[in-house]
Amino acid sequence: MSVPNCMRCLTRPSAVATAALRPFTVPVSVSLTAAGRVAAFSTTPAQQATPQKGSKTPAGRMDARIKRMANGHVRVGKRLHVGGKKGGTRPKAPLPGERKAYRKRIQLSNSNALPVKDLAELDGEHMLSEKNVAKVLSLPTAVIDQLRTVEAFKPTQTWGLFRDPSLLIRPETVDLMNRMQDSVANKQTLRLVIDGDKLTGKSILLLQALTQAFLKDWIVINIPEAQELTAACTEYAPIPGTEPVQYMQQVYILKLIQAIRKANEKVLSRLTTAYAHPELPQHIPVSSPILALANAAKEPDSAWTVFSALWKELSSNIRGRPPILFALDGLHHIMKISKYRNAAFDLIHSHDLALIKLFTDYLSGQASLPNGGAIIAATSRNNCPVSASLELALEQRLATQNGEEPPAKKPYFKGYDSRVEGAMKSAQVLRIKGVSKLETRSLMEYWAASGLLRTTVDEVAVSEKWMLGGNGVLGEMERASLLTMRL
Amino acid sequence: MASAANSLRICLRTCRQLPTVRPVVRPAFAARPFARRRALSSTPARQADENDGAEAPEEVKRYYNPAEVIKDLLREEGLTEQQRETLTQTLTQWGQMPEEDKKRFEDMRREVHASTSQIRYVVKPKKDSFWNEEEKDTDLITDEIGEDDFEEDDMLSIGHAKLDEHRDAREYARIAVWEMPLLSRFAKDFVPPTAEEPLRFRYTTYMGEFHPADRKVVVEFSPKDVPELSEAQQLKLMKLAGPRYNPEKGLIKMSSDRFEHQAQNKRYLGDLVQKMITAAKDPTDMFEDVPLDTRHHDFKVRPQFPKEWRITEERQKELQEIRRKALVLDEAKRKSGALIDGKEVIKNYLESMPAHREPEPSMVRRGGPAKGRLGKGKW
Repeated sequence: MSVPNCMRCLTRPSAVATAALRPFTVPVSVSLTAAGRVAAFSTTPAQQATPQKGSKTPAGRMDARIKRMANGHVRVGKRLHVGGKKGGTRPKAPLPGERKAYRKRIQLSNSNALPVKDLAELDGEHMLSEKNVAKVLSLPTAVIDQLRTVEAFKPTQTWGLFRDPSLLIRPETVDLMNRMQDSVANKQTLRLVIDGDKLTGKSILLLQALTQAFLKDWIVINIPEAQELTAACTEYAPIPGTEPVQYMQQVYILKLIQAIRKANEKVLSRLTTAYAHPELPQHIPVSSPILALANAAKEPDSAWTVFSALWKELSSNIRGRPPILFALDGLHHIMKISKYRNAAFDLIHSHDLALIKLFTDYLSGQASLPNGGAIIAATSRNNCPVSASLELALEQRLATQNGEEPPAKKPYFKGYDSRVEGAMKSAQVLRIKGVSKLETRSLMEYWAASGLLRTTVDEVAVSEKWMLGGNGVLGEMERASLLTMRL
Repeated sequence: MASAANSLRICLRTCRQLPTVRPVVRPAFAARPFARRRALSSTPARQADENDGAEAPEEVKRYYNPAEVIKDLLREEGLTEQQRETLTQTLTQWGQMPEEDKKRFEDMRREVHASTSQIRYVVKPKKDSFWNEEEKDTDLITDEIGEDDFEEDDMLSIGHAKLDEHRDAREYARIAVWEMPLLSRFAKDFVPPTAEEPLRFRYTTYMGEFHPADRKVVVEFSPKDVPELSEAQQLKLMKLAGPRYNPEKGLIKMSSDRFEHQAQNKRYLGDLVQKMITAAKDPTDMFEDVPLDTRHHDFKVRPQFPKEWRITEERQKELQEIRRKALVLDEAKRKSGALIDGKEVIKNYLESMPAHREPEPSMVRRGGPAKGRLGKGKW
């Protein structure tokens, strides 16, 4: 889906593009007559001189209207239109879904941006060391593919401005990665919520966690947009034999299994099944490869059964099973009543949807991963439904972490949700804010080296952008310096 | 207490005869220039005094002692001999009573009359009148008849108005000079309330004028200032006060205007506060299961300029130090060649690209190379 050249860049002459295209724009024969002279440099494409008469091109239609007199004189003028529409036909409207595909496309590379020299490639140890704070490091190609498979990149992020996707290491990154590392060492489950103001880099921090998990050969399951699960835009069905009734989302889960299978192929190919799964549509004998189990999901109807079996295998207490990272973005969307309805036409609580229930069970600490791992959720503050319980829980956890008195519930407020409170009972909260000036400088140097910032990156420029970005809010700094470029 | 007095008053009212409606315009006004009302006044016309003379002949006669009643009765015709005798006997008995007893009786009668008479007249709508057309407008400054005729014997009305103004000013000046200094005799020193006086009352006066709100009394007190109240009891008192409790100021504020007199309302409020304190001290139910309700109160957050943002001398020095360090850092980077300039980067990159030369335009003979005329009309 990605386009090597961004559309905006195509409209102006650029270093690479002009160098590449120039030989083709020069006409084959160049005459010196005044009328036929071709400019040495032109931004308009060379056109065919004589359009075919009656051809479908606009020039051809124009030609059909030209009246040629006997003496060779050509009359081109207004013609009388009687009835019908004036002017030409409208351009063809894009096909259904085409606009959305354009809007949602993810472009990870831009050949117009300059390649940044001396950019080290991330490995599993970089994000663990305090030394690397305020460094920009590029993502390895293999991990880019895996991240793309689990849809970790968002269309709103500015990957499309740079030659290669790179990440800024922040103190929070190092903190989070060390916590993940510790969870594996102690065989514990890290249950964490990433929170912060708008555009502070919550999703990027989650992406860094996913990157680290891929680099460390964890099994990664990612729900990129939680709202897709609760906005009633994917199919659902009650799971037979559950009390209270839970609902599976077959199509979504089938796609999720495929993403898990594809992104974690390297790790999964080493593992074999430990249990027999008689409920599966296909017979998978014990100690057959887990990939075969994942492949058993062919139809949406059997997707949930296969997913349950897969989860049972992965989260079982067997030596050699890798740690699991289960990540979700847009936590507010699963902490409310969903848009789905049950047979009695009542709204279904999000925690009655099986996949979300699995996530919240682990987030609340009801279940744990025996081989260690992390359950990480990130909030989204731009697309953020009201959830009083979640907000309160976040405040309470944060106050407890800081050793303060947690804020109490409002005694007469009716909008609290006990299930949400239960899910958020004991999760850790990592609140991120703007970056420091040191990190800003490093980031701006990366922008300038990519040819996107045409200023000298000194302390004055850094302070200016840092302040324009609301004391170092990453997204705001990007807005202030990259997305309002005057070139 | 208060309600008992009220009911007594209502009973007395029913016993009393209704006063007849007086004619609004009194011709006696013209004869008594010294009693003339001001042309424009914000105070309503009041009933004249009882001993105002014969200006109200149709006034119902009031009796202040039995002798007057009996005398009037005796004057009437159609009494039997026996009745007449009884009345005369009673009259003699009254005459034989000691003078101070008679006076006391009369005083009592007068007092009852004074306390039960109407405060002001009720204006009753006239049923067969159209918009009270026949009523004279007393608020009108002039009667507009012959007003503009000047008979060379007086000032113009505007002059009179000016004089009136002067009179007013002089009257107030006199008050200010002669009477107001005497008020200082009533001045009292301010004594701040002690811990034993936690209630703060507020009264309203309209300077002697009648106003429906002049009976209202407001009491404010803080549950924390009420003596001998434990924390739990204070909390219960706040809960009892409900929406009358202001959680921001920590005050309970109550008002009453249900009784006619300020004193009654104040008494009522005092009793109510006492009742509330008694209830708060009652340990049978401390309302521990009911949280304090503050939904009625809108907590206002007034953003204050943060102290840390103030530019003090220390802060200035700190900022200068930061700027100096920044300059040093930039200079060091510049020297080592690590300072990145975006424009330089782009320029260097373009220069590093393999050089591309424009192809030399090849010379073509006019009219085409070989066949003479080529492409006629095509270019």
